[in-house]
Parts: sequence; C-alpha cells; structure tokens
Amino acid sequence: MFVFKIYYGKTNTFFIYHKISYYFCTTKSYFMRNLVRFLKRYSHIFLFIFLEGIAIYIISQNSFYQASAITSFANQIAGKVNARTYNITKYFTYGSSNEALVKENAKLRAMIETSYVKYQHKAFQYNDTIYKQQFEYIDAKVIQKTISKRNNYFMLNKGRLHGVTNNMGVISPSGIVGVIVNVSDNFSLVMSVLHQDSRPNIKNQRTKISGTLVWEGGDYTSGKLVDIPSSIPLKIGDTIITSGFSQDFPEGIMVGKIKKFDKDKGTGFYVVDIKFAVDYNKLEYVYIVKNFFKEEQIQLTKDIKNE
Amino acid sequence: MNKDILLGFLHFVLIAAFQVFILNGLNIFGYFNPMIYVWFILMLPTNTPKWLGLILAFLMGFTIDIFAGQVGFHAAALTLIALIRPLFITIFFSGKDIETNLRPSIAEMSLSTYLPYITSLVFIHHFTYFTIEIFNFSEFFLTLLRIICSTIITTLLILLCDYLFIHKRKI
Repeated sequence: MFVFKIYYGKTNTFFIYHKISYYFCTTKSYFMRNLVRFLKRYSHIFLFIFLEGIAIYIISQNSFYQASAITSFANQIAGKVNARTYNITKYFTYGSSNEALVKENAKLRAMIETSYVKYQHKAFQYNDTIYKQQFEYIDAKVIQKTISKRNNYFMLNKGRLHGVTNNMGVISPSGIVGVIVNVSDNFSLVMSVLHQDSRPNIKNQRTKISGTLVWEGGDYTSGKLVDIPSSIPLKIGDTIITSGFSQDFPEGIMVGKIKKFDKDKGTGFYVVDIKFAVDYNKLEYVYIVKNFFKEEQIQLTKDIKNE
Repeated sequence: MNKDILLGFLHFVLIAAFQVFILNGLNIFGYFNPMIYVWFILMLPTNTPKWLGLILAFLMGFTIDIFAGQVGFHAAALTLIALIRPLFITIFFSGKDIETNLRPSIAEMSLSTYLPYITSLVFIHHFTYFTIEIFNFSEFFLTLLRIICSTIITTLLILLCDYLFIHKRKI
C-alpha cells in the first residue's frame, strides 16, 4: 500500500510538473488564446458594463435634480411629440378647462374696477415708487405631466425664447404648482410640489405662522406641513398660502386647506395634513412668475454668506 | 429569421407606444405604476444572443426614458434584466424549452412555469428602478410598498396582454 501511494504521488507530481513546464514553454500563445476565450465568453458582461456605464453616466450628469434635467435634445423631441399628443387629447378636457377659464374670467371681471382705481392713482403720482412692479406673469400650457411617481415633473410649452429661466415659480389660477428646474429654447420643466426636493415656504393665513410644505408620495391631493410650532392653536379648514419669504413666489398664493393635524410631543411641532387647492391631475393652464427683484434679493444674501 | 426581426420590431414599437402614451399617463392610487415595457425583454426567444438582448434592452429603456422626461433610469434597470434573464431561464424552464428556442408566453408553457419567471424578473426590475429613481433610504417601506404594488399590476397586465395577443406558434 505504502509503496503504491508513493508511486501514485510521484506520477501525479510528474504530470503536474510536465504541465507547468509545457505552460512555461508556450506561455505566449496560451495566454493569447486564453485571453481571446475569456473575452469571447464574457463579452456580454463587458457590453453590459458599457451600457450600464452610459446609463449611470447620464444619470450622474443630471444628478442635481436627478431626473429633472433633461438633455436639451431629448427635451426638444419629447416636447414636440407631447405637444402633438396634447393637440389630440385636449379635446377631451375642453369641458373642465372651459369651466375653469370662465371662473377665472368672472374673477378678473370682478377685479377690473379696483385695478382701474389703482391705475389712476399710479398715473397721478407717476414718480412715486410705491407701485413699482415686482412680479410679471408668463402664461403657459402644461403639455406633459406625471403625478403618480415619487418625484413629479410638468413640462410647459414656454421656454428660453419666451423669457423663462431656471428657478422661476409656477402658479395656476387656483394655487401653487412648482419651480422651473430646466429650460430649453421652446419648453421648460417644472419641479412640482409633488417632489421630495420641493420645500416651499408657506404660512397660515389666519395666524401668520410660517412653515414648510413637503410631499411624502402617494396621494397627489394631499401634502404635509412641517416646522409649525405647536404652541399656537390651529383649526381644521385653515387656509394655507405662500409666505413670500422665498424669491420664487409672491405672497398669498393658495396652497391648500388643513385637513387634519396632530401634535408631535417629541419635537414641539405640529404634523399637519393639508388638501391641495390645485387638482394636479387636471392642471392645464399655468403662469410662470418672473420676479424683477430676484437678482437683487439673491445678491443681498450672497453678500452675507461671503463675509 | 426575417420574420422574427420584423415581429420584434413591431413588438418594440407597439409596446413602447402603449407604455408612453397610455400607461405613463395613468395614475392608480399613486402607488401602482404599470411598466409593461419589461415584457419586451421577457418575451425574446430563449436563444437570443446575450449581446443582442442587452442592446435591445438599452434601446427600449432609453426610448421610454426620453418620453417619460427622465434620463437613464429605465435604461439602467432594463439592461440589468437583460443580463440576468438567461440565468432565470435556466432556473425556471425545462431543457426542452430552452433548446427549441421558443418565445416565453402563456401559449407555449404552463402558468406555473411562466408566472414565477415574469414575477421574479418584474420584481427585480421594479426594485432596481425605484431604488435608483427615489435614491433615498429614509422612505424604505413606502418605496417597498410602491415596488410591490407596481409588480402586481405589471405582472397582471403582462398576463392579460399575453393572453389576448400572443398565440401559439405554428410549426
């Protein structure tokens, strides 16, 4: 037995030795052949890494708002196609949008007299700076939107050529909509309030206490308010409006009404559920808010930061 | 062969159009996001070359990305599916199915073989997609709920479309 084992072992080592020496003699050809075989066998893995690399590169290029930033080219094509789709589908929604327009007309008609008086006043004191215009509105149509995702964007049919730039606020006749995050020549993209990075500053119309609006996904008709101190009582049905503290929105744009609230004992803040004033599913006509003093306001805060 | 290419092209256009023009505009309780375009990769013949599957997946994902107003998310998730699909085929299908180069569909095989195959791949796709899209682990359970709801609706939709439109291939 013992002898046999040794013999067996010897042959084995002999063979291994033989193999190794053979390898060393023809290293080059073996190496090349193995390399080719390796590449052939795993070629699809390399292709996968390459394609995935492209995808991740594109995502990371736009990582500031991740999905928000569409490359200009894709934006143009998608915009055109969506505009065509809109041309077809708009007939189905004429009823409700007409109703909204009629309502807004009625509202504007009611305001004519007051604006006329103001105009006279302004004309009278021409050099007075009290009535210097701060906000201008650019009307636009929503040509594409999502409301079912965690982060939702709307595409508008006005772009750089119409004077739209990044970070302008967007409102609709019935309330707040979002902020422009990307602009191409003819189209622009709005980060709606239905987004995890959207945190507009709001206040309670009755108590003037301000807080922040957030949206946690799910139901597009309701949002949450945070940073509202629980020391001041709230009421169900209180109206929530924009605070005007940010440069994007004028003060007093409707946000929604309080639906439900709880005190969070740990933090001393309320947890408030609100119902949005705007039905984002039916959203069609919006206004882009242009703030004439924005640069000045931003410059002011910048100077402090630089010190 | 030519017929296969033509059929594949037709599937590509129809499924992409269905996804872009109908399903992307759909909102069911905010948590159900049907993504039927995954079906395009799932229904490729079992012997499709791996490189072709990957390229088709990337193209399909990129098409959906452009029209959905996002970039890269669908492409990344679907390319991953094309990579792991051969593995799942060997796990779930019998050797005979793989050799005959058939299109996985409910007409060609039993539901007990077909359902685990699509459900698992759709789940992996949705998991990848929502993880990349939301990119935020603080809402993990909401994301998981979204993934599960969407997986259910996508799977049901694929089964329905399969039942309606795909017929047994004549030999």
